[in-house]
Amino acid sequence: MSKSPFDIELDDMTLARARRGDMDACEQIYRKFQQPAYSVAYRICHCPELSRDVTQEAFITAFRKIRQFRGDSPFWGWLRRVVVNHTISALRKLPRADVVELQEYHAHTEGAQEQIGLSMDLESALTTLNHEDRAVVWLHDVEGYNHQEIARLFGKTESFSKTRLSRARAKLRSILEEKVNPIGFSKLESATR
Amino acid sequence: MQQEKDPLNLGSLPLVSPHPDDWSLIEAALRKQHSHRRILRLAGSTLAIAATTILAVSIFVYRPFATSQAPAGAELLQTAGVEEIAPIDAPPPDTLGSLIALSQELESNLRKIRSQAGLMPTSVVIYQVELEDLVAQVDEELSMHPDSLDLWSQRINLMLDLSQLFQNELRREYQQMASL
Repeated sequence: MSKSPFDIELDDMTLARARRGDMDACEQIYRKFQQPAYSVAYRICHCPELSRDVTQEAFITAFRKIRQFRGDSPFWGWLRRVVVNHTISALRKLPRADVVELQEYHAHTEGAQEQIGLSMDLESALTTLNHEDRAVVWLHDVEGYNHQEIARLFGKTESFSKTRLSRARAKLRSILEEKVNPIGFSKLESATR
Repeated sequence: MQQEKDPLNLGSLPLVSPHPDDWSLIEAALRKQHSHRRILRLAGSTLAIAATTILAVSIFVYRPFATSQAPAGAELLQTAGVEEIAPIDAPPPDTLGSLIALSQELESNLRKIRSQAGLMPTSVVIYQVELEDLVAQVDEELSMHPDSLDLWSQRINLMLDLSQLFQNELRREYQQMASL
């Protein structure tokens, strides 16, 4: 199973200082988790402004409630839950037909530049999904949430999560195949000829 | 396994950075919240003292009539040979009951208002989180002192503040819509 981008270790000392309200420690935590937090919000919302607001709110909530973190699970999991909850909550308040334009994103490693072509296809394919489908496929496939967790997050049944995941994957596949072969033949069809 | 879990390889998409760096905004919000918390605590304790004083005075003023009319509760206590307990230690049940009922009503109204409120700006969220945290603190104390009029009064004041916060936000959103 792929590792969640949130899966970053945090030392106990920094955590303890942050729990006492030490701003330097809070800043260290923010610097460590800023990218995965913003990324998950962005991948689900696909709106830079909303993702920025959601990330800010999530960090403020997390630092405000950091004493409630019991330490019986990794800190990154707790923080991710705060961020994802804020994101889903923000999405619920959005109008259903909200259209979000594809935004330019920034690759962070030089090696990542090579992958920009493929990533842009994936990126643009993701924008065609509605908020819920995108959230389900991202949380399941990248963040490693299971159907039960997704269902709980949305206040729906597990079959909702399964249906949305299957629908989202099918749509993404069909868009990506179209991009690879714009005249309409899928890879499979081409191979059988 | 990778194929099953992430068949489209979405995990290969790069991480995205917020631009610009928002730590300064978060830090300012947290610092503001800390100072606001101090002010709220001070205001809360002042309010609590004021409420207790008003309650004590009103009970003192009310008491002569109450004893001259000999309410049923006092009679029962006298016949049972139990000394009358000072009302400030044991508030009249109807007062406590009405405070609890009011608190419940506010809680229910707040739930309705909250469901209607949209995504709120950071500055408002800070106050909301702060107030909710204070409500949680009061609830914690109430679990140890469930008959405390002072604590129930504090809870009601906090709920009123929260309602006000959401109502102001809804009003602001409406004004924005109306100006379009």
